[in-house]
Amino acid sequence: MNREKVVFSFFMILALTLNFGFFAGEVDNPNHHNVYELFAVVVVNLIATVLKFGDRSQMGAMLLATSLVALVQLFSASIVWAYVVNIQGHAMTPDTMSTIISLSGGALIANFISVILLIIETSTMRH
Amino acid sequence: MSLVTSLIMRQMRAPIITLILGYSISILGMVLAPGIDEQGNPWHMNFFEAFYFVSYTATTIGFGEIPHTFTNAQRTWALITVYLTVVAWFYSLGKIVSLVQDPTFREALKKNHFSRQIERIPESFILICGFGETGHALTSVLTKRNIHTVVIENDAKKIQTLPLEDFPLVVPGITGDASNPEHLIQAGLQNPKCAAIIAVTASDETNLKIAVTSKLLNPKISVICRSEIEEYESNMFSFGTEFVVNPFDTFANIFAMAIHSPSLHLLYDWLTGVPNTDLSNPIYIQPGHWIICGYGRFGQGLYQQLLKSNIHVTVIDPSEEKRDRFLNKSENGNNDFIIGTGFDAHTLTVAGVTDAVGLISGTDNDANNLSIIMTARDLNPDLFIVARHNKKNNEKLFAATNANIVMQPSEIIARKIRSLLVSPLLIAFLNKARNQDPTWANITISRIMGGLGESVPNIWTLQVNEDEARALCQVLQLGRVIRVGNLLQDPRQREQQIKAIPLMLKRNQKLLLMPTDEIAIKSGDQLLFCGTPGAYRSMHWSLNDLHSLNYIMTYEDTPDAFVWRQVNLFLKRNERRNRPRRNRHLMK
Repeated sequence: MNREKVVFSFFMILALTLNFGFFAGEVDNPNHHNVYELFAVVVVNLIATVLKFGDRSQMGAMLLATSLVALVQLFSASIVWAYVVNIQGHAMTPDTMSTIISLSGGALIANFISVILLIIETSTMRH
Repeated sequence: MSLVTSLIMRQMRAPIITLILGYSISILGMVLAPGIDEQGNPWHMNFFEAFYFVSYTATTIGFGEIPHTFTNAQRTWALITVYLTVVAWFYSLGKIVSLVQDPTFREALKKNHFSRQIERIPESFILICGFGETGHALTSVLTKRNIHTVVIENDAKKIQTLPLEDFPLVVPGITGDASNPEHLIQAGLQNPKCAAIIAVTASDETNLKIAVTSKLLNPKISVICRSEIEEYESNMFSFGTEFVVNPFDTFANIFAMAIHSPSLHLLYDWLTGVPNTDLSNPIYIQPGHWIICGYGRFGQGLYQQLLKSNIHVTVIDPSEEKRDRFLNKSENGNNDFIIGTGFDAHTLTVAGVTDAVGLISGTDNDANNLSIIMTARDLNPDLFIVARHNKKNNEKLFAATNANIVMQPSEIIARKIRSLLVSPLLIAFLNKARNQDPTWANITISRIMGGLGESVPNIWTLQVNEDEARALCQVLQLGRVIRVGNLLQDPRQREQQIKAIPLMLKRNQKLLLMPTDEIAIKSGDQLLFCGTPGAYRSMHWSLNDLHSLNYIMTYEDTPDAFVWRQVNLFLKRNERRNRPRRNRHLMK
């Protein structure tokens, strides 16, 4: 068993599951989506991205690309949240919430592709 | 992704993850820590405020307790935040610094730099193996002729000082063992831009290995080798090495030329010299008694040439074995062999230095050679002296002896290889010139001096094909006649001639020396010219620009698009008004 592979897969799958946890629920209902969960998704995605640094293979490049896509989506969601709450000073509205959730939905797909690629890579590996 | 970026990213994984973790734990803690606002209501930071606080704390900027004064619970977490994030930063920065100093990383950076330099070379380049004296001299003359070179050398110090050298072009250098195929490939052996490889390391064996490697891994490129030992030379030729240059043979041939025909020797010296340096003076070798000190590869080569010219020679060498071999050959009957070193007055006197006309100090030790020259000059100040100069750093000493010819192996090789690379036709020209009588050489010399001035001319080859002379080929296809003389007209002012002289015409494997202006050019011809750099540019211009060629041929400047033709007609009408005045001015 390769410890590096365990850590790597752990963070990728955790990124997917947390992302799904945040995404699940009614799109425009702020009560269904927890800010702590979004924070956790961002942090775990960051770590998963950094873990993919420096892999020179084609698969490594694909994995890094999907992670970067997820990060861009999640950062956009966080910025929308921070903008509305802290800069405009409104309370969270259903409108804003649905924007944030749709952005995180994009990230969810990227994370999902990441995990699929991981599974493909693992299954093609010969022992 | 290049090796360097990949190395950086791989090394930076741990520090970046440390930073991410440090930040996220601190932010989460700050959000969770209970606070109280000014009105005494319970209050929690949101993620935005926490990120703001952690960012200015982690970078030790420290704006204070924003937006409300902290409670003790928040202050406790702020303490943890300070130590966690500041330590994380220190760790990351330390890691970056150590990465920059890491030898593997530096090696990767150097290789990256090297391959980028090679990528930036616009045309082809020549790979030089060995950056000793010969490699240095060769790089210097090739870059002066605008030929890109790449250097591979064993000694890291020589590669380090490469950027400090004053070459007109950037010369990428890589440290590596040229006899190792891996290193040769890294240096660009299989690069499509690599046109030739020159093996001029100090060891014949390494040169042989380089030649074999290049012929196996990239058979398309031409291989030029330095060799001082005959067995290696024939070995190199056996698998198709294009040129093997032996400094001693080469010099002996040049020396023979100087004996037989000083003017031919002068022509050779001018045409193979470094362009734009001063033209050298002729050397006259008197017939009479000669002394050779040192009967090694150099001495033997020169001896054979003197023998062919029936010149009486006395050889001085400490080896008895060599004397026995010398005396056993019947052809050496008239000549003497004296056992000795030659730097003592006694041996030289016995050898007859007082009434000799020339002396060759040809040992492989510079101190001995200098000593021989000094002693011999004392005994006979009028001696013609040929000195063998082995080590580059003794250059000033040899210049001070005022020897008539100083033979430096690395320079001889550099000169020979340069003429091989710059123009293969030049070698053919010089070979053919050897069979001409001395008056021919005299006429050629005076033509070059009269036409081109006092500095060494540039040499170039014109190939009449689509690539090199587009316009010329198009005009030839139309069935028009262009003569050699037309090429020498200035495309700016057709009545004037550019400063160039056609040396040779090659057509269907036939060589014609000094083609006259009337000869009509055919497609597929190769012409060898010498001239000034400006003349080369002018010729290049008229050969590739249809308008310039038209101007030269028809004395008309004709535009080819419809609109411009109309404009031209209009301009001509105006010009006609001005023309009489201009002509009158010119006639004065």
